[in-house]
Amino acid sequence: MEVKKTIENIWPKVRKKHLFPQIPVPEVVEGEEAVALEIKSKQLRISKAFCEKLTHTMKNEDIVEAILDHGISHYMYCPWDFHTYLTLYNEAKKVVKKKDLAQRATSSFVDVVSDTYCVRDKETKIPELYKNIRTTGLNEVLTSLYERIWGFDMGRGRGDERISRLSRIPYLERKRWRESVKKFTTIIQDILEEDLEDEQQENQRGQNPMGEHSLSDYSLEEIDQGLREFAGSVQDLQQFKETLEDLKEELEEQGYASGGMGRGTGNPIDADLLYYMKIAESYTLPIRSLPIEKTGDLYPYSHAPWEVGKPVSHIDVWTSFGKIMPGISQLWKRKEGETYGELEGTPDCLIVIDSSGSMVNPRERLSHAVLGAACACNAYLKNGARVAVYNFSDAFRDNKVIMDFNYEKERAYRSICKYFGGGTALDLDDILYLLVRADNPDIFIITDMQITNLETLIGFFNQIQNRVTAVHLGHNVHSSRFKEGTNKRSNISVFNVKNKVDIPKIVLGQINEYLLSSPTRH
Amino acid sequence: MKNPFEAFHNIGVRRREIPLDTILKSKEETLARILRGYEDLLRNEAKDLVWLMQYSTVIKAYGMAEKRIEELEYTAEDIEEFCYALDRSDQIPYLITGPAGVYISALCNYAPEEEITLNLRDVNVKINLLGYRLPPNKKLVVNGNLGDFSGIGLDGGELIVEGSCKNYTGAGMKRGLLTVRHNLGFNTGHGMTGGEIHVGGRIKGLGKIVGGKIFEGDQLIFPNEGVKPYYF
Repeated sequence: MEVKKTIENIWPKVRKKHLFPQIPVPEVVEGEEAVALEIKSKQLRISKAFCEKLTHTMKNEDIVEAILDHGISHYMYCPWDFHTYLTLYNEAKKVVKKKDLAQRATSSFVDVVSDTYCVRDKETKIPELYKNIRTTGLNEVLTSLYERIWGFDMGRGRGDERISRLSRIPYLERKRWRESVKKFTTIIQDILEEDLEDEQQENQRGQNPMGEHSLSDYSLEEIDQGLREFAGSVQDLQQFKETLEDLKEELEEQGYASGGMGRGTGNPIDADLLYYMKIAESYTLPIRSLPIEKTGDLYPYSHAPWEVGKPVSHIDVWTSFGKIMPGISQLWKRKEGETYGELEGTPDCLIVIDSSGSMVNPRERLSHAVLGAACACNAYLKNGARVAVYNFSDAFRDNKVIMDFNYEKERAYRSICKYFGGGTALDLDDILYLLVRADNPDIFIITDMQITNLETLIGFFNQIQNRVTAVHLGHNVHSSRFKEGTNKRSNISVFNVKNKVDIPKIVLGQINEYLLSSPTRH
Repeated sequence: MKNPFEAFHNIGVRRREIPLDTILKSKEETLARILRGYEDLLRNEAKDLVWLMQYSTVIKAYGMAEKRIEELEYTAEDIEEFCYALDRSDQIPYLITGPAGVYISALCNYAPEEEITLNLRDVNVKINLLGYRLPPNKKLVVNGNLGDFSGIGLDGGELIVEGSCKNYTGAGMKRGLLTVRHNLGFNTGHGMTGGEIHVGGRIKGLGKIVGGKIFEGDQLIFPNEGVKPYYF
């Protein structure tokens, strides 16, 4: 059987049927007899051995078309993206608790959804394909389910209570997928466990005939985007952590590390770090544009019709159709260029974060302080500035992290996420050490203000000229004292946050206001 | 000029109706009928959104529930769907757990299946009074926790709870078997005259028990030397 040729023949038809998905031409691999398809970063790979095995029961074109329909439906309908896959996996895991079982349940669910979509909305040979695949265990149950919900005779005729329950799930209602995958997993849980037990006894992993759905289906960019959306949608840090821990090995195999832009195999994935990184990426902080000065240089700004007497050298040949004719030829109008004034670009920033016992441990719960600092860090790095971090609890007992100014996001996040607990005291020498290592950097401090040497800090801030954004969590006497002690300084803005849940928004908004206009007092 | 979307012209979406559509439609219709019955019951039984749990009110509510479901055709899965619907505010105008439990019990007692399994682990609301008057030859298995008055007036059926129940479990039970995998609250078996209650975990307190047997693990805790039958 010439699978490659068959693919070449039917690929245009299949593409058209699925409204021209942006995926490369499928490839043929020798493969296994038991598994029809594997997907790696959108590249469909059809197993030659699988197709050859079925040639005596189905036409070559039908086999290949059905496999392609299945693969493309995953791309076009379910799971659609990595975020959906993670969400479904997370829900399945809540039911079965084990990674392996949750992965199988998710994989089976997305198969049922995408195949059902295809059978209902497209002309496909998928039912015929399933009819001719020999199945056992869970796959046998799913084939019986297909028989029931698609209305094709597949020769199974199994009609037990489980099939009846499975057939009542609204597979094609995307909004109810979370609820549906949970029901689906609950119903098949015992078969999943039985299958796993059998496989352990036989020491051989069972295979989904249509291929397992895994992380390898996605590109690194899709994974990055999916994690960002997933971090924003899960209820708490623990859920994100649990899911990430489960997929850690696969992610690392894919070459994904938590560093975002600086991906590579260098650092192992830190789920906590990644969580804050992904949530912080959802926020953007514009930095104030600095005063603009005229440069004296002229540059092409807009077009105007060319008239006789005006310089021919200023004609834009690209928009003039190659003609020099009044009214048709376009002339470049030039304008004097502008540039930033004395302070060019965005200043570097020193982020000071309190990680004493009174602050939330960012590795246990969502810490709004860490998130606020992470957002500030992102804002400065995105604008090409450097960031330094001073993370402290009782600094005099060496409970501190000092990270010098640099452009490394992951390193900065590691320093921000560090949690010490215990008492709270700042060592001003450390801050002075960092301040002199950049040219008049901004200072961003986030704390609950319950600092033992608060008076020293107030005195210090009153002496310096750097722009200071101070964010404190909740009301207390210390925060009042800080406000009172710094209210005469126009370079210091104090942001008072009443509700911790609102910290990321309020901090971002206030910083925005602060950076875009003159500092306001609260 | 060539229309860039020309290739899409001949691609009409070929949507055929598959049995799944019919199954889901029929499921929605049945659920709507069950919900209407429940709303009728509430209109009659809890006019002021107040329902006082008394022996007489339970009997009256059950009688009404029986009438509401008389002509309904449903399966055990529909009952489970209804329990989930109770959890969703968009489908239920208001939830009063007493009448809801009586109504679900009536649905179970008249369901065509002899064995009913309800997976209620993801239902947030704790349903009270489930298993009321469960008749002989009926087995009701509940995966999840239940509220107060579970299995009251059990009448020969078998109620298995794969979880815990709150207070007054098995109260007024006449005959049958009640198995609770985890724990029970106060006044367990209050006024019970027959049947058996088996508890895998702990019982916080027993009620005034007339007859029957209660086991905590393998240990018979009623009747025994310390706990004698109560005579009303």
